[in-house]
Amino acid sequence: MKNDRRGSWYLLTGAVLGVALGLIYSWVINPVEYVDAPPYALRADFKDEYRALVAASYLYSNDLLRAEDRLAQLKDDETAQTVAMQAQRALAEGHPEGEVRALGILAMALSDSMLPLASSVASTQKTINTPTTSASTSTPIIQQPTASPDISQQATPAQKSTTPALQLTDTAEPASTATSIPTQEAAYLLKETKLLCNLDQTEPMIQVEVQDTAGEPVPSIELVVTWDVGEDRFYTGLKPELSLGYADFLMTPGVVYSLRLADGGQTVKDLTAAECLSDDGSRYWGSWMLTFIQP
Amino acid sequence: MSRWAKFLMAVLLGAAAGLFYGWVVNPVEYVDIAPESLREDYKTDYVLMVGEAYQAEHDLGLAVRRLALLGSSAPSDIVANALSYGLQHEYAYQDLSVLQLLGEALLTWNPNQEVPTP
Repeated sequence: MKNDRRGSWYLLTGAVLGVALGLIYSWVINPVEYVDAPPYALRADFKDEYRALVAASYLYSNDLLRAEDRLAQLKDDETAQTVAMQAQRALAEGHPEGEVRALGILAMALSDSMLPLASSVASTQKTINTPTTSASTSTPIIQQPTASPDISQQATPAQKSTTPALQLTDTAEPASTATSIPTQEAAYLLKETKLLCNLDQTEPMIQVEVQDTAGEPVPSIELVVTWDVGEDRFYTGLKPELSLGYADFLMTPGVVYSLRLADGGQTVKDLTAAECLSDDGSRYWGSWMLTFIQP
Repeated sequence: MSRWAKFLMAVLLGAAAGLFYGWVVNPVEYVDIAPESLREDYKTDYVLMVGEAYQAEHDLGLAVRRLALLGSSAPSDIVANALSYGLQHEYAYQDLSVLQLLGEALLTWNPNQEVPTP
């Protein structure tokens, strides 16, 4: 009996030793080599390089289908948003302007391809969850917005020649003249200023939507907000789940702000936090919604 | 069968099980690979993208830096391999032309002027 038990133990020891040797050989000495890897296995920074390269090649070929096929190899969840976010990161991290521009153009092209052209404006407005301003539910207390209501009429031809944030035409560009690509000659003008009253959004904010000539949202636009003792900058496209052309800034009540696009154009002055009145008489902060559009 | 023979048999069976587990069931996974590990067709498409980008940007140094991600071979060799693959697999004439133009441009590239940084 004693000899039998010892026999089973040495067999088990041999098997364990064999497994250990096998694992050492297969994991350490001679592991599986991935020499035919697909792009989705790339490291994150190489994926960024890959996307930037897809964007740069798109500038040459203007072949959106091919660009989409190439990006699909990365298996990103939301291709357009991923490209837009990379454009934002590249802009914030000071990457070369050409790279940012290429990514921005590709992001716009991808977002255009996902939206029906005829309803794109309506879709954009819907996705940014524009609060209702119905008098039956809530009422702005300030009837006359402090943002210059006639500022669009102040635009002069000279102002139109200012350079937009995305200078898309001074270097290589797609062969076709896609209408969604802003041109250097056309600055963004303020189309609409309105106070939004939304009980779900009670912090005073400056919300901005920038659209191109086709009414499509434009990412990577730098916005400058200034007040008496400070200045801050923010960008469209950082909340792609709302809209690629959307940006917002949280206001401090009592402070008067001015807002403009970083590369010139109109300045919207006298923006202050404004109150709204709900049905039950309570007051809450509204948000200014400024829509800039490329003429 | 002697005890040593049984022991050796157990070791071999265990090793076989270990190899099966390490190579098939749970192999080493490379999830953070570099472009040089891409499959040949993806590498060729990568080179093609570099060529297309070069046609748009006309920045040969940038093209060389991008090609450097595909390995330590000379950039002209990388493009030549891609061109060869494209010819074998009957790529479109325009794509072959892009690769050809990139290859020709690289013949004039002086590596002493710019050092590729992978």
